[in-house]
Amino acid sequence: MEIATERAASPPTVGGVKVLGLHKSYGKHAVLHDVNLDMAEGEVVSIIGPSGAGKSTFLRCLNYLEVPTAGTITIGDTTVDAGARRPDRASLDRLRRVTGMVFQNFNLFPHLTVLENITLPQMKVLGRSREEANAVADSLLNRVGLAAKSDQHPSRLSGGQQQRIAIARALALSPKVMLFDEPTSALDPELGLEVLAVMRDLADEGMTMIVVTHEMHFARDVSDRVMVMADGRVLELGPSEQVMTAPTHERTKKFLRAVLDR
Amino acid sequence: MFAQIAAGVGMTVSITGASLLIGALLGLPLVAARRSAWTPLRTLATAYIDIVRTIPPITWLFLIYFGLPQYALRLDSVSASIIGFSMIASAYMAETYRSGLLSIPQGQWEAATALGMKFLPKTRYIITPQAFKVTLPAIAAYAISLLKDSALASTIGVHEITYQAGLVSRATHQGLLAFSIAGLLYIAMSIPLALAARRVDRVLRQKLEVA
Repeated sequence: MEIATERAASPPTVGGVKVLGLHKSYGKHAVLHDVNLDMAEGEVVSIIGPSGAGKSTFLRCLNYLEVPTAGTITIGDTTVDAGARRPDRASLDRLRRVTGMVFQNFNLFPHLTVLENITLPQMKVLGRSREEANAVADSLLNRVGLAAKSDQHPSRLSGGQQQRIAIARALALSPKVMLFDEPTSALDPELGLEVLAVMRDLADEGMTMIVVTHEMHFARDVSDRVMVMADGRVLELGPSEQVMTAPTHERTKKFLRAVLDR
Repeated sequence: MFAQIAAGVGMTVSITGASLLIGALLGLPLVAARRSAWTPLRTLATAYIDIVRTIPPITWLFLIYFGLPQYALRLDSVSASIIGFSMIASAYMAETYRSGLLSIPQGQWEAATALGMKFLPKTRYIITPQAFKVTLPAIAAYAISLLKDSALASTIGVHEITYQAGLVSRATHQGLLAFSIAGLLYIAMSIPLALAARRVDRVLRQKLEVA
């Protein structure tokens, strides 16, 4: 535990992420065992592994959509200690303020137009005026190539377009870290590509990103490091090229063979 | 004869409208309690909803109008019927709201939470508009059924349509005609309600599905 103490002593750089000893269990059933992650600002980490590994659960603990059982999460200068019986609301609000999340099923608000999807949270969470929110939304819609769709409702858009809107919606709140939960898993391969292209641009611009994914090319080419999880544990965490081509863990080799040799 | 029966329309509309409004408002804290994570509160709300809905409306009216005065409260028949119907409506509305909330995918709550929206804006801007669309047909159906149930108030002497028809029937011995007129009045009041609900429903659907 000495190592953990030493790590805890050094806060992450602004916008960085530090997760220490994260545990999560449902009753007696543990789904996350001692997960640690230390990221510098601007770093991209992909999380891969078989289903049921706890990848999404881990990601959802980072903004408290799932409540971890133990451990600490530090994002930027906000720290939440899951050991505390009930984290105070203010810390949770800050944690959610500095993270943006993109879901597998987009979760756009169907009763709002594309523009309103992006402006409403800005007005209600950051207190921006409608004009400010519109300006931010316009520039983001241009960035994801969907300015022409701003008055449409989400149901009129393809899955790939919806996911790009969902990315814009999250970015509009100026998060320090973007969390992607299998952002292309619900899309057919071609539509997945347009979403991956947006994510690649985002990574190039220096956004700190954690991406749960089954896209092995993205994991290898875009992320700085890859974290492999199975059965609620981190099997390995290292530079993408090394993990993807020369994994050390037998379980990783088996998983990579299964996904690459098909 | 028609005029004398139609004189009850105002009272029927008042009792139905007031009870529906009060029930719709009381249903809000009730559904919040029913969904509470705190077990005692949830149990209490569930018990209230079940008990209120299991006892027949006419029994409630008698309980309030004839039962309460025995101890303390002597209510006039209009107040008693509005209290009774409001109670029943609150239970039905709470259940209607609950089914509307259950129809909203978990992902909508999660997306709003992840965006940092707090409970009130989340409820007001994300959940309620979607739940309203789903529950509107059920609310309209309940409004019509409450309109019909309001006839029960005649049994405790409220001068609404059915009571008036009864008076006319006894005075003229033309029961068939009197109660037929009463029936037609209920139909006449239900139709605009149903049409309005259908129209709002259609507009909301279009707004969602067609850009």
